[in-house]
Amino acid sequence: MKETLMDILCCPLDKEALELEVTQKEPNQTETEIIDGELVCTECGTEYPINDGIPNLLPPDMRE
Amino acid sequence: MTDPREQRDVEQVYQPAEDSHLLATTACERIRADDWVLDVGTGSGYVASIVQERTEATVLGTDVNPHACQQAHSHGVDVVRTDLIDGICGSFDVVLCNPPYLPTDPDEEWDDWMEYALSGGPTGRAVINDFLDALGSVLDPSGRAYLVASTLSDLDAVAERADENGCETTVVGEESVPFETLVVLEITTKH
Repeated sequence: MKETLMDILCCPLDKEALELEVTQKEPNQTETEIIDGELVCTECGTEYPINDGIPNLLPPDMRE
Repeated sequence: MTDPREQRDVEQVYQPAEDSHLLATTACERIRADDWVLDVGTGSGYVASIVQERTEATVLGTDVNPHACQQAHSHGVDVVRTDLIDGICGSFDVVLCNPPYLPTDPDEEWDDWMEYALSGGPTGRAVINDFLDALGSVLDPSGRAYLVASTLSDLDAVAERADENGCETTVVGEESVPFETLVVLEITTKH
C-alpha cells in the first residue's frame, strides 16, 4: 500500500485514526510502498496487519 | 499448464462478466483524470484497473475476500481488505460498486467466497442496502456513485433506499441479458 493511503484509512471498529508501523518498505518512483507492517488504532489499540502490500482492516474476530 | 493454486484462486473470485463490462464502460465515460475513485468490492480488480488505465484517475479498491484482494493487487490496483467501506474514512469524487444482487434462498446459499460475490440475500438487495446506507460517509457531497443493479432485485426498491439516504438515482447504463436487465445507476446527493 502507498504510504499516502494513511490519510483515508481508519479503524473499522471505532473509525479512529491508525498509526503505521513499517516492517518492510520499498521506495517507489513517486511514493513509498509499504510491503509489510502493522496499523494500530490510536484509540482502542487494535492491530491490523499489512502483508504483501495489502492492509487487512477486518476486525480480529472476522479474520480467518 | 495453469498453476493449480492460481486456478483455485480464480474459482474463489468473481471474474469479469457482462455487469463488469457495463460498469467499466459507463464509469470511464464519466471519470476525469483528477478524480479520486473508490471501487467497493473490487473482486478481480477488472473494473478498477480499466478505469485507472483509461482515465488515469487514482483508484482504491476494497474487498472482504482475501483472494480477490490478491488478484486485484496483482492487476496493479491499490487494495484494502475490509467489509465494504468499514476501514475507509476519506471523501471520494467517485464511488463504484458492482455488488452481489441475485436473490438467493437461504437454503441454497453455499458457504464460500463465491457466495459472498453473488448472493444478495432473499431480496437480492442485502449488500446494495448496506452500500447505500454507508455511501454518504465516503462520497464527496458533489461526488457521484455508479452502482450496478438488476431488474431481478427490484430497481424501484433500490431507488427508494437511495432516496431514504438523501440521494437521487438516474439510470446511465443499461444492458439486457437473459432473464434480466442490468443497469448502472448514477447516485448523487440531493441538495
